[in-house]
Amino acid sequence: MDPVYLDHAATTPLRDEVVAAMEPFASQRFGNPSSLHRWGRDAHAALEDARETVARAIGATAEEIRFVRGGTESDNLAVVGSCLAAKRETGSACTLAVSSVEHSAVLESAGAAADRGDGILVRIAVTPDGSLDLDAVKAAVDSKPAVVSTMWVNNETGLVLPVAEVIEAVRGTETVVHTDACQAIGKVPVHLDEAPVDLLTATGHKINGPRGVGLLFVRSGTALAPLLHGGGQERGLRPGTEDVAGAVGFATAIRLAVEEQAATAARLEVLRSRLERSLQEAVQDIRINCADGPRSPHVSSVGVAGIADGAGLLMALDLEGVAVSGGSACHSGAGKGSHVIAALYGNDDDRATVRYSLGHGSTEADVDHAVRATAVVVERMRATARGAA
Amino acid sequence: MSRVLVAMSGGVDSSVAAALLVEAGHEVVGVTMKTFCYSETPAHSRTCCGLDGITDAKRVASALGIPHYVFDVEEDFTRDVIDDFVAEYARGRTPNPCVRCNSNTKFRDLLERGRALGCDSIATGHYVRVQHASEGSRLLRGLDAAKDQSYFLWALPPSMLPKLLFPVGELTKDAVRARAHELMLVTADKPESQEICFVPTGDYRDLLKKRLADVHPALEPGAIVRTDGTVVGEHSGYAGFTVGQRKGLGGGFEEPMFVIEIRPDDREVVVGTADELLRDVVTVREVNWLGTAPSVGAAITVQLRYRAPSVAARIFDVDGGLTLELSESQRAVTPGQSAVIFDGDRVLGGGRIVSAASTVPV
Repeated sequence: MDPVYLDHAATTPLRDEVVAAMEPFASQRFGNPSSLHRWGRDAHAALEDARETVARAIGATAEEIRFVRGGTESDNLAVVGSCLAAKRETGSACTLAVSSVEHSAVLESAGAAADRGDGILVRIAVTPDGSLDLDAVKAAVDSKPAVVSTMWVNNETGLVLPVAEVIEAVRGTETVVHTDACQAIGKVPVHLDEAPVDLLTATGHKINGPRGVGLLFVRSGTALAPLLHGGGQERGLRPGTEDVAGAVGFATAIRLAVEEQAATAARLEVLRSRLERSLQEAVQDIRINCADGPRSPHVSSVGVAGIADGAGLLMALDLEGVAVSGGSACHSGAGKGSHVIAALYGNDDDRATVRYSLGHGSTEADVDHAVRATAVVVERMRATARGAA
Repeated sequence: MSRVLVAMSGGVDSSVAAALLVEAGHEVVGVTMKTFCYSETPAHSRTCCGLDGITDAKRVASALGIPHYVFDVEEDFTRDVIDDFVAEYARGRTPNPCVRCNSNTKFRDLLERGRALGCDSIATGHYVRVQHASEGSRLLRGLDAAKDQSYFLWALPPSMLPKLLFPVGELTKDAVRARAHELMLVTADKPESQEICFVPTGDYRDLLKKRLADVHPALEPGAIVRTDGTVVGEHSGYAGFTVGQRKGLGGGFEEPMFVIEIRPDDREVVVGTADELLRDVVTVREVNWLGTAPSVGAAITVQLRYRAPSVAARIFDVDGGLTLELSESQRAVTPGQSAVIFDGDRVLGGGRIVSAASTVPV
């Protein structure tokens, strides 16, 4: 049987429409948008059209969109950039408040800023059901942070975090609100009218767009210091010759993802229910992580009891033709525990975690294959563990 | 078709081992064991963990069209191999970490994790051969005498043998390189790794300094003495010495001097002439037999160091371990090293040398 790809939260294939939109800019329309000649003008127009498209998809204005080289860079620019801007303003280290279930791009960049003495890191605890502890958010806001960062959809569990409540908690303060919406776009409604954050991160490759291109939405008037220095592109926040093909591909991908969001969510919801129902029938003693919380429909995080070697479970599934991740692909190769699962279920949680993530092109047959393979592999690994004991 | 797990270090031997298994029609799964961190960085970053070998192994696996995974065994390896290595030097012995790794970490982990992945057997790139027959499996020296690695495998639990495959043991090193070139493997011209893998600088004393207590007798100065107790010099820590060593003893001797014994309790390094180094009775502990144990009086051959020629010997006693009588006295029989027992090319078993004596008057 053909292998099935159920790791769409890690990355996704380009859609045909995206490839078609990008192709001219990888070949004949190759100009540098900063050049004054016709090649430059053509590229510049395409780049600004892409910016307009992206802005419209999330309810921003074109002037508020900075193209960057992906989600990690966008998170770094948001977190560290706002910290440095605040430090420049006040002359002293800023406070950085980040939720403890953030992607490592946020946790590590905030941690690095703290290590350099630019900021003081405050980690916001989560409640036992994985959502943000709003009292902890309020306490964090009382420490007058320069920025508070909370992701929209958690990449490991699919849990939707209460971004609107965080905005509410900082209302009337100077604190800037950042959200990493990389996993949210196209899966749940993401619109700046509904959730008026100051900074928003999105990336192309999670939504069937190209890798290495993302955006940072910067609300007008939000102070941000650049991390790179150079030719002044992207209003000085992200210098470097723009990736026009990438921006055009990203724009196409985000437009389609947002246009189709409701239909996608409905389709994936059905598929995921099938997956989780069948898994619970076929495999004993599993836990659907965050099952009762508001979840994005593309992620199913499953805790499997009786298996000590989570990485081994992923390897065994791969050998049966099922491509999935552990907590998150960034960690699954390393075989270390997920900080998100640890935050949710404690450091003593001894379940192996499998993250199945659905996307464009996922089918019932894919899901059924994954369930069968999981049942076979879990049974074998549990038997092996019993034999070794 | 059976599923085989092959341990790929990123070197040419295990690369070719994997290729040969693929050619033989097995469903091959490549793995690299991440055993230790070069850096002291606590974070498990991708840059810190000897990942060049992993990268090469992944490239070879990809070229062969097989999956490849990384087994993180750092914790086990540190406890079972590095800690033992350090403790042995602290006891004044000279350990064989590769023996320890093979018997305590590598094969056990490969087998356990392999079973979870549905693998029936385990393969490595060792230059040894294994013959499977209904009456049991036998471990033999590799065909290439210059590359034979059977010295490192005597301590495997015998129950593992039937599960093992050593495809390159049937080849010479030249043939292995030639196959790697034919297959255009990226590791074809990779140099041999000679050092102990967790001592990339080649100086194990740096590791001891890091891992032993701040003040440890093994790293404190002590006396260099003759067998009669005459002090002839001072050393900077007995852990820096091994039996047979000539360097680091200072000069001024009438004839060449060698380390003949290390006495950790007195922090003494005993030196003597080449003749004083000779031993013909070897006491061995932690004995392991890969098949039926030979009886007292059996004539066998024994190899006392890696790459050393084997020596005819007689099993003198099996009480509490093994005592061997060598047919000819040997220089530098070193506590901590392995004594590996052969019947011709067949590895019967072995043990750790704990002491050696001479029945021949000097």
